[in-house]
Amino acid sequence: MLLQLNNLFKWVNSGGQRVFLLKDINLQVQEGEFISIMGPSGSGKSTLLNVIGMLDTFDEGEYQFLDEPVHSLKEKYRANLYKEYIGFVFQSYHLLDELTVKENLEMPLLYKKLKGSERKAKVADMLDRFNIVGKKDLFPAQLSGGQQQLVGVARALISNPKLILADEPTGNLNSKQGEEIMELFKELNDEGVTIIQVTHSEKNAEYGSRIINLLDGRMI
Amino acid sequence: MIKNYFKIAWRNLTKNKAYTIINVGGLALGMAVALIIGLWIQDELSHNNYFTKKNKIAQVFQSQTFNGETGTGPALPRPLEKAFRDGYMDNFEHLVMSSWNNSQYLKYKETSISREGNFMQRGAPELFDLNILKGEKDGLREINSIMLSASTANALFGNEDPIGKSIKINGQYDMMVTAVYEDIPYNTSFKDVKFLMPWDKYVAVNEWIKNAETQWGNNSFQMFVQIADNTTMESVTSTIKDVKKNLNEDTVEFNPQLFLLPMEDWYLRNRFENGKQVGGRIKYVWLFGIIGIFVLLLACINFMNLSTARSEKRAKEVGIRKSIGSHRGQLINQFLGESFLVVVLAFVIALLIVVLSLGGFNELARKEIAFPWTNPTFWLTSLVFILLTALLAGSYPALYLSSFRPVDVLKGTFQAGKHSGLARKALVVLQFTVSVAFIIGTVIVMQQINHAKNRPVGYDKEGLVQLPTMSPEFYGKYELMRTEFLNSGAVVEMSSSSSPTTNIWSNRSGWTWEGKAEGFQEDFAWTEVSPEYAKSLNLKIVEGRDFSREFPSDSSAILLNETAVKYLGIENPVGMLFRDTDKENPSEPLKVIGVVEDMIAQSPYEPVKQAIYAFDRYDNASYYNLRLNPRQSASQNLAVIERVFKEHFPDVPFHYDFVDSEYGEKFAAEERIGQLSGIFTALAIIISCLGLFGLTSFVAEQRTKEIGVRKVLGATVFNVWNMLSKDFLKLVIISCFIAVPIAYYVMNGWLQEYPYRVILKWWIFALAMIGALLITVVTVSFQAIRAARANPVKSLRTE
Repeated sequence: MLLQLNNLFKWVNSGGQRVFLLKDINLQVQEGEFISIMGPSGSGKSTLLNVIGMLDTFDEGEYQFLDEPVHSLKEKYRANLYKEYIGFVFQSYHLLDELTVKENLEMPLLYKKLKGSERKAKVADMLDRFNIVGKKDLFPAQLSGGQQQLVGVARALISNPKLILADEPTGNLNSKQGEEIMELFKELNDEGVTIIQVTHSEKNAEYGSRIINLLDGRMI
Repeated sequence: MIKNYFKIAWRNLTKNKAYTIINVGGLALGMAVALIIGLWIQDELSHNNYFTKKNKIAQVFQSQTFNGETGTGPALPRPLEKAFRDGYMDNFEHLVMSSWNNSQYLKYKETSISREGNFMQRGAPELFDLNILKGEKDGLREINSIMLSASTANALFGNEDPIGKSIKINGQYDMMVTAVYEDIPYNTSFKDVKFLMPWDKYVAVNEWIKNAETQWGNNSFQMFVQIADNTTMESVTSTIKDVKKNLNEDTVEFNPQLFLLPMEDWYLRNRFENGKQVGGRIKYVWLFGIIGIFVLLLACINFMNLSTARSEKRAKEVGIRKSIGSHRGQLINQFLGESFLVVVLAFVIALLIVVLSLGGFNELARKEIAFPWTNPTFWLTSLVFILLTALLAGSYPALYLSSFRPVDVLKGTFQAGKHSGLARKALVVLQFTVSVAFIIGTVIVMQQINHAKNRPVGYDKEGLVQLPTMSPEFYGKYELMRTEFLNSGAVVEMSSSSSPTTNIWSNRSGWTWEGKAEGFQEDFAWTEVSPEYAKSLNLKIVEGRDFSREFPSDSSAILLNETAVKYLGIENPVGMLFRDTDKENPSEPLKVIGVVEDMIAQSPYEPVKQAIYAFDRYDNASYYNLRLNPRQSASQNLAVIERVFKEHFPDVPFHYDFVDSEYGEKFAAEERIGQLSGIFTALAIIISCLGLFGLTSFVAEQRTKEIGVRKVLGATVFNVWNMLSKDFLKLVIISCFIAVPIAYYVMNGWLQEYPYRVILKWWIFALAMIGALLITVVTVSFQAIRAARANPVKSLRTE
């Protein structure tokens, strides 16, 4: 078992009333799954993804990640955990504009304190694998959206995560680029990487092995 | 990792050029100011450090009380030396009697030069540990010996070896050079001592000094001491304080108190009020120190403000880094590192500014500060300074930026700058408070100087030249020279006097007069003058008459000034007699024949002192006062005067001073402060405006969309300008209201030191406020108008 959410709640207080963002979520994810989270706007998809990614907190319930109780971990330890095992892919890519493709790829490795030679080898691998060797010295602004997202996925993968969290990864891409990214996810999943994606598109959801539907913070 | 940080930092800097120029440039300016002030303070504090025994050396001072007012000074009577040598020598390692610095002319073969120097006792070279370049250290042993500074020796002898050569002093006597010492550097109390002669010679050639050996009331000499190793300044002071009082009954009524003023205090803490040490130049060290810190603070505030204002741009980076696995600590380090990079960059530029401007600064501040390239302490201090500045400027942005929550930032719901708004406003208020206070302070200093400058001096100082005539060759030649000068056509009137026009060298007491109150301890400024004094100075006679050569009895006549009449409290002073109180050997009574208008001879900031101008009977005045012929140019006149002078005194170096420029010297200290504070104020304003400029541009950028929407809905350029400027103007107005009372309090305190001072008017404050507001409007408008005029279609597309 990769992760497990038990009776998880998240709420905000608005005008004296408690508004639930996530309500009684129970979810088990096995290694190697490819899950799509779907639902209308405001149903809590991104919130759930962020909670799983440990970028956001929750108010009640339990979260076990690789048998570690996330809800009772200190922030620093939690950061170590997701740095080690989780990679993020964002809808608007979120590459650092001031860094080149190569340097963007290198960054997670820096935070993992890898040696220079190791970093170089991994970056070269990644560039090779995604066929973007020729673009390694370009800045994000010089790339198309699809290429940027390719770099985004490559950056998420570079530290060999067990889990990739993707928040509408194709949302800003045209259909052809989107398809390429989804194909890439499929390949990765076949290689054993667990993927959880948030998506609006039925078509994209079909790449996954399981679909979770959310409505008003509840799983249905 | 660090490489990666620096890469990001560097690319950020080069990408936002305007921002970088404002940030680095502003910080560099601030640092340059702080550095220059730091060097200046270091120079002030190291005054007299040249003397190796600095902390053992002191000068003996004396406080005496006249009519309830205590005056303090270094002038001592001669008998004190004997008293000390007889009973107190276990307190002192060395005791050196000294004359005052005075100008003498030295002649070797055909070369004749005028230099300042002292007569001192034999221990002086040892006490001051003079660096002997040639000859012997014990150079004052023989009565006819002289020690020369290297520059003096060079001016007289060129490449010749001066040791053993004989030079003529003032055309009077011959002295043999026994030693050449390294010139005493400029930042010492003895920078002008270009030669030393034995004290015994001073006594031998001056009758009045011989006579002073037993006169306890004749305070005309200085005494320097080096205290013994086993004692302290305080304990010596407590031992000697009543020596004079105990040995001499006549002066008991003035309660003379002796004490040691340590060499450390000579320069920075030499002001006394009512017998108490009340500081001195040290207050300027503090003042400029505070200014330096404030200017640097202003620059740091810019850095903080601009960094946090740009946080929206950096927020995304923070979010990404955090989601990839960065700890908060790592982000703090990263932003501190960036701040360090900027500070180092600014420091290099600041060094450049300092090196380029040090010459000008030295001229302004009358310093000879050299850039301490090879001083390890300087570099160490600089390093600490850089680290501190980086920390000061970078800590707020670092803590603030690193606190973003990645979810907020990455979702795009984050609005940077909202939370930091208050802090940023507070910083802007602080900046402008300092700037406005500086403006007010500078305006008041300038006003005070102008106020004193516009004060009527009482005589006509334009076209008046004074020649020093202190050497004996001039004695008895006044009449001759007067005829010669008048005949030459270059001079329309001439007089002589025992003090320069711009000072009072002598004070007297010891008279009775009709109606003198019991126990009244009089004290008059005393100047002996030739009969033409008032005429040559264009000094008005307000009562009675001027001296006249037609009345032989005028040799015992005196003139009073107006203040003296008020001081005496007598209705009709003309005709009153001043009788000598000396019972055994009284001098002739002095008869008042007239009253002259007050003239400012001493400080233009203080009331004129009661003065007596007495007929100079012995023709041994210290100055000739020449009224130049107004129909010729000054240079023509001076050429003629020099020719006539040289005919009669071929060996005396021709030296003259314009009285108006001598008088102008009285304002030098205040003017220097006025100019320096003016420059620092200007820099403070520039730095604050740079910050404001940067800030407005970011606010305008931040609100691009809002401005676009407003314009689409019909807002005019003026509406938008108004919207953007209003916020900043509000802050500046708040600053003004904080700055005004602070500036009022500080400047009022400063003015209290000047009895003749400008009255603080409300409009000064109003003017400073309006000035600050105008500057703000101009600065803000640049960006506001640009933002307001932008095409809304374009700005709305930026989403």
